[in-house]
Amino acid sequence: MITGDDYDYLIKFLFLGDSGVGKTSVLYQYTDGLFSSKFISTVGIDFRVKKVAYKIHGKTKRICLQLWDTAGQERFRSLTTSFYRESMGFLLLFDLTNEQSFLDVRGWLEQLKVHAYCEMPDIVLCGNKADLEEKRVISPGRAREAAKQLGIPYVETSAMTGQNVSTSIELLLDLVMARMETIVDRALQPTKEPLVDRVLSPNMDTVHLVDSDKQSWSKCSC
Amino acid sequence: MALNPAYEAIGKGFVSQYYAFFDDPNERSKLANLYNQETSFMTFEGMQLQGALKIMEKLTALTFQKINRIITSVDSQPMFDGGVLISVLGRLQTDEDPPHAYSQTFVLKPVGTSFYIQHDIFRLALHDSL
Repeated sequence: MITGDDYDYLIKFLFLGDSGVGKTSVLYQYTDGLFSSKFISTVGIDFRVKKVAYKIHGKTKRICLQLWDTAGQERFRSLTTSFYRESMGFLLLFDLTNEQSFLDVRGWLEQLKVHAYCEMPDIVLCGNKADLEEKRVISPGRAREAAKQLGIPYVETSAMTGQNVSTSIELLLDLVMARMETIVDRALQPTKEPLVDRVLSPNMDTVHLVDSDKQSWSKCSC
Repeated sequence: MALNPAYEAIGKGFVSQYYAFFDDPNERSKLANLYNQETSFMTFEGMQLQGALKIMEKLTALTFQKINRIITSVDSQPMFDGGVLISVLGRLQTDEDPPHAYSQTFVLKPVGTSFYIQHDIFRLALHDSL
């Protein structure tokens, strides 16, 4: 059980992509042996938690990462939309050996635009199963070009070998932390109003800054 | 037409036949015979489909292979046109995913001594908040 004193930031990421691209395996690779997953049947979402230390301006911040997995509901094209809204970053995966999963990336981005907390949230695109070189149908060049057009970073991962698994999640964390810092900076500039009130947009009540609303800790289920 | 007194048995029998086809990837295409070309409606996770062709396009595009299914309840009622209204509550597990609860509603329309599925509504029981 994590109490309010155990971390400085609670960050939620949602793993997206067609079924079979390896979302759960990537998550498993990233958190294996450290924390068990919890499946919440009412919302049909599985989540894992990992605590990481993050250096920002020479200070180390303790971050509680909640990693949300869609647990098969994407097969039915039904996704609990509140999880889009509450996520601060998205890891969008496709399978390098499956053309359709690559083509479907656009559809997932459309979904994100509609349901996420803003139109251009932080996303990292992952071409997974990079270890299956002989089965690969999406070349690195083609994937990079697509990612460039979409304006999102691209990483090739392998849940099997662990290649770039941490890298991709850390990259997403960098993006989210940078965005938060920008918002905090902006919030601090004009007035001396309490930080929390200004940082939290109505739809984004998941950034719990230190010493902010203590009651909300109890809502955190990690 | 009169109420069909065998509605309970028809409901149970239909549900077991329907899922026997649905849950076997090799048999799933046989579901086409249970829908009408024009007058069958399906709402699958909010997506509205009409006619056997469109419905089958959707059902055969589902990506899972294995389905484990547990039916919790089958509730049926006779309808005044001789049809049967069926409501199913159950859980299903696709491949290695965790099991999800779902609800499915059918309306069977009588044709001669047989029936076709006139209405079919499917939803996973997923809520929008904890």
